[in-house]
Amino acid sequence: MPVFKTPFSGYSVKFSPFYEHRLAVATSQNFGILGNGRLHVIDLSPTPSPSPISEFAFFDTADGLYDLSWSESHDSLLLAAGADGSLKLYDLSLPPQSNPVRSLHEHSREVHSSDWSPTRRDSFLSSSWDDSVKLWTTDRPASVRTFKEHAYCVYSVAWNPRHADVFASASGDCTARVWDVREPGSTMIIPAHEHEILSCDWNKYDDCCLVTAAVDKTIRVWDVRNFRNPVAVLSGHNYAVRRVRCSPHARNLIMSCSYDMTVCMWNYMSEDALIERYDHHSEFAVGVDFSVLVEGLLASTGWDEMVYVWQQGMDPRAP
Amino acid sequence: MAMRELVTGGAACAVPGSSSVANPLSNLANALIGSSSKTQERLKEIPTSTTAGSHGQFNSDHDDFSTTLPGSESDYQQNQHADGQGLAFLDSYHATNRAGLADAWDEIQHQRNTYRNEEGQTHLTESGLIYNQGPTAQTQLSFNGTPQKILSSFLHSFVNSSCGDFPFRPTALPVLGLTKGEKRCIRDRSSIMARHFFSDKSDEFINAQVDALLCSLDIDNNIQAMGSLPWRFSDLENYWTESQGAFATSPPAERWVTEYEQQREHVDPGGWAHLFNQQHGPSGWASEFGDEQSQITSVTQIQGAHISNLAAMEQSRLLASTLAQNNDPKFQNSKFLQFVSKMSRGELFIEDNQVQSSSVSVAEDWATEYKKHYIAGLSETDQHAHKELSYGPDKWVHEFATGSKQHELVDDQWADEFSKLHVQDWVEEFGNQVGKGALGEDSTDSWAAAYDEYLSEQVATKRRLDSSKGIYVFSDMNPYVGHPDPLKEGQELFRKGLLSEAVLALEAEVIKNPENAEGWRLLGIAHAENDDDQQAITSMMKAQDVDPTNLEVLLALGVSHTNELEQAAALKYLYQWLRHHPKYGALAPKELPDSLYYADVARIFNEAAQMSPEDADVHIVLGVLYNLSREYDKAVTSFKTAIKLKPRDYSLWNKLGATQANSVQSADAILAYQQALDLKPNYVRAWANMGISYANQGLYEDSIRYYVRALSMNPKADNAWQYLRISLSCASRNDMLEACDSRNLDVLQKAFPL
Repeated sequence: MPVFKTPFSGYSVKFSPFYEHRLAVATSQNFGILGNGRLHVIDLSPTPSPSPISEFAFFDTADGLYDLSWSESHDSLLLAAGADGSLKLYDLSLPPQSNPVRSLHEHSREVHSSDWSPTRRDSFLSSSWDDSVKLWTTDRPASVRTFKEHAYCVYSVAWNPRHADVFASASGDCTARVWDVREPGSTMIIPAHEHEILSCDWNKYDDCCLVTAAVDKTIRVWDVRNFRNPVAVLSGHNYAVRRVRCSPHARNLIMSCSYDMTVCMWNYMSEDALIERYDHHSEFAVGVDFSVLVEGLLASTGWDEMVYVWQQGMDPRAP
Repeated sequence: MAMRELVTGGAACAVPGSSSVANPLSNLANALIGSSSKTQERLKEIPTSTTAGSHGQFNSDHDDFSTTLPGSESDYQQNQHADGQGLAFLDSYHATNRAGLADAWDEIQHQRNTYRNEEGQTHLTESGLIYNQGPTAQTQLSFNGTPQKILSSFLHSFVNSSCGDFPFRPTALPVLGLTKGEKRCIRDRSSIMARHFFSDKSDEFINAQVDALLCSLDIDNNIQAMGSLPWRFSDLENYWTESQGAFATSPPAERWVTEYEQQREHVDPGGWAHLFNQQHGPSGWASEFGDEQSQITSVTQIQGAHISNLAAMEQSRLLASTLAQNNDPKFQNSKFLQFVSKMSRGELFIEDNQVQSSSVSVAEDWATEYKKHYIAGLSETDQHAHKELSYGPDKWVHEFATGSKQHELVDDQWADEFSKLHVQDWVEEFGNQVGKGALGEDSTDSWAAAYDEYLSEQVATKRRLDSSKGIYVFSDMNPYVGHPDPLKEGQELFRKGLLSEAVLALEAEVIKNPENAEGWRLLGIAHAENDDDQQAITSMMKAQDVDPTNLEVLLALGVSHTNELEQAAALKYLYQWLRHHPKYGALAPKELPDSLYYADVARIFNEAAQMSPEDADVHIVLGVLYNLSREYDKAVTSFKTAIKLKPRDYSLWNKLGATQANSVQSADAILAYQQALDLKPNYVRAWANMGISYANQGLYEDSIRYYVRALSMNPKADNAWQYLRISLSCASRNDMLEACDSRNLDVLQKAFPL
């Protein structure tokens, strides 16, 4: 299975929605605590070859990068979320010296996550340690809106897969919130965990199903029409759950990674929810993604400076 | 106890060279405020390097790097250096001859013996190289990249300490040359992240871990900036509830609670934080005022012990405003937040390690109310409860002030206060002069002594003034006593602009007819225009005693109190003005609420302005209110509207100018003052204000001329003398200081003709 070594600690990995062989990785020096950042774009070779994985491009930044998102409208466009509070837009079709094509600096603290709208394809969101979420479009130099209700760092933000105006945010204030960009404030406040919530994602098959992951080591599945009780509580990680993703191919499949250094696959509808546990990282696992174009193709990255791409059910470390 | 750590800043390892840390509250605020501005000190963006060919990420090929990155020769050399460092690294480690270091290294190695293989070293070297592209290159160059590696492995062992239960021990590290911004980065990020990866551990453990990290890196770890807030405050609340436990059962306490609840209901429960935010405006205004307007007003404004209190107030205001932005209802109801907010409003201050209610706080004040019930509660509870209770506040205070003796506290805060007031330039200037030998050693000492003397004199004056607050001090020799119609004479003199003379005549009038409200009012206005707000307030209060509903008196009192930064009083009078106004009286609720909230008053006045947009007075009051809340742009707009309606009102031009000066538009302010002076050439206050604006722009010579002009018209304007002294020092005119100290106007007027 392809393995890629990055010079810095991996923070986020995402498959390109346009090319089945392409991924991007956001990395930060010194675990993101201090130092530079680098955005890698890597390609998988279609056939087994001496180098199953190769670097297509990389971009250096002065501060660490905590997240990235591929554009849903242009195959060459991608967005990096910086620890210096900036969002940077890179165009792979342009020469390096003209990149980043845009640097959006409005957040006053670290931008911890970003998400490109799959439905409204010129828009993207960013969430930051300055407690706010910002909405951007590619044609504007400044943010369209700022959503500031959370009382602590907003660690994650995710567009609803079906409703173009709806998104969810997860914060260290122990709430997840659901927003409609047409409304002035949040439409729903879900006190989802007793601890800081680090990640959230929507089920791609059920527009009312939201998944949250928190420092309390659990993943919770919520029906936003009735959020008094979670639909499911997934326990199994031994440390805070850092990121959670819903499968684009199966309604009941959830992938997560944690500070316990493992990546877990869950079927939240089954009694024994934990399907698989991958123990391939030697440091905190902080980035995971499903390939939209190839069913079962997974990627993960972590603070061990490694990026793994593997087929579900296989050993990521198998040669 | 978590709370103890919060307020003492976990002083386990005091960091040399950190900012003065006497007041734990200020530490907390420092930490909070410092962290939010950290991005400004961040590294500059690196010009993007080219897209390296495949596998570029591993290469140790120097050429590749020196071309792809805008590296200088030194970078290149460094790269070579670093390349051969595989083994040399350990040697150099030992060579530093610090046992602690070697131990640390061994420990790191022991934990993760697989971590640093040959390849890993190369990476780090590269990363060190890239890192050095930032502005920090100079500081890091001398270490040949090693600090980067030390830092990296050190952070690694920190991050990894979450896997075992072993505490992360502080270690002596060589100087890494981290910049302030970098340190702040490490502090903020590590404390936030630590909460994620030490999810199992207690707060104490997490804090100890982070403290150890920061301590080793020589980072000011007073409080872990942002990471600690939400949990800490719930702890605090618990603590508070606990410590108030006995108290809560006594009947008066319940009464208090209900009373408090009622009050809360009265003020839009949800918007407490919002209200508070606006309410604490005035002390913020105070600092703004201090910054903008005066270098030395502080000396008069701040009375002896209050020097430290103002600083504490300012710090707690910052803290409170940071907290108040938090929408969490838990925060809004937090007793701690309320405590802090009271401190920021000056209703409580710390003196001799005791929380005191401010002597000026009014009767209906919450603090007084609280205290009253508190004491009432004491008498009724049993002995045990009594004990616990009476120590309650002390405990608070002790925790707030642990480890610092009172005089240290004062010193440090005085220093803080001093530096906040732009006197730094002046101090520098002084240092220069000493360096040049302009002043001998003796004169430095005598200067210090003179300054001390001067300071204590000011404090004494201020105290005397305060104690006599409400008692009008008449001039000793008054030629107008016995004048047949001093009021008429006074009005005449006032119209001619002979303010000092007018004051004397009007004093004669009120001595003759103490019940003459008009006499007192005019006297107040004369004092105000003569730049003496204390006397103005006293006169106006006399006028109000005689005629409690005189609108002009109420308005003038509101303005004067605003000038003296007394928000509660200012709001009270402005509100009464509204109530007694024939037109707007209906807008104001009949009964006067126990405490006025800025937002309520501002809202009512906005309604009034909509009701009759042609009434200049309403716009004036709005302008004053916006000054209280530091919304200077709005204030400027209000005053400009009023000026359109009353273009000949010189005092309006002066207000506009003062507002513009407050919002750092000194040049515009000068134009406004000029207008005021064109309308009324003997307007002492405008002359003095003009000087302040010039001084704020660094034009000290000019400012001196205006101060001297103002003083030639009213030699009793104490403030102006102090401004003058500052400007003389700033302009290096030490030759004139003696003339200033002896208040020799002739000499000064000759030296600085306008």
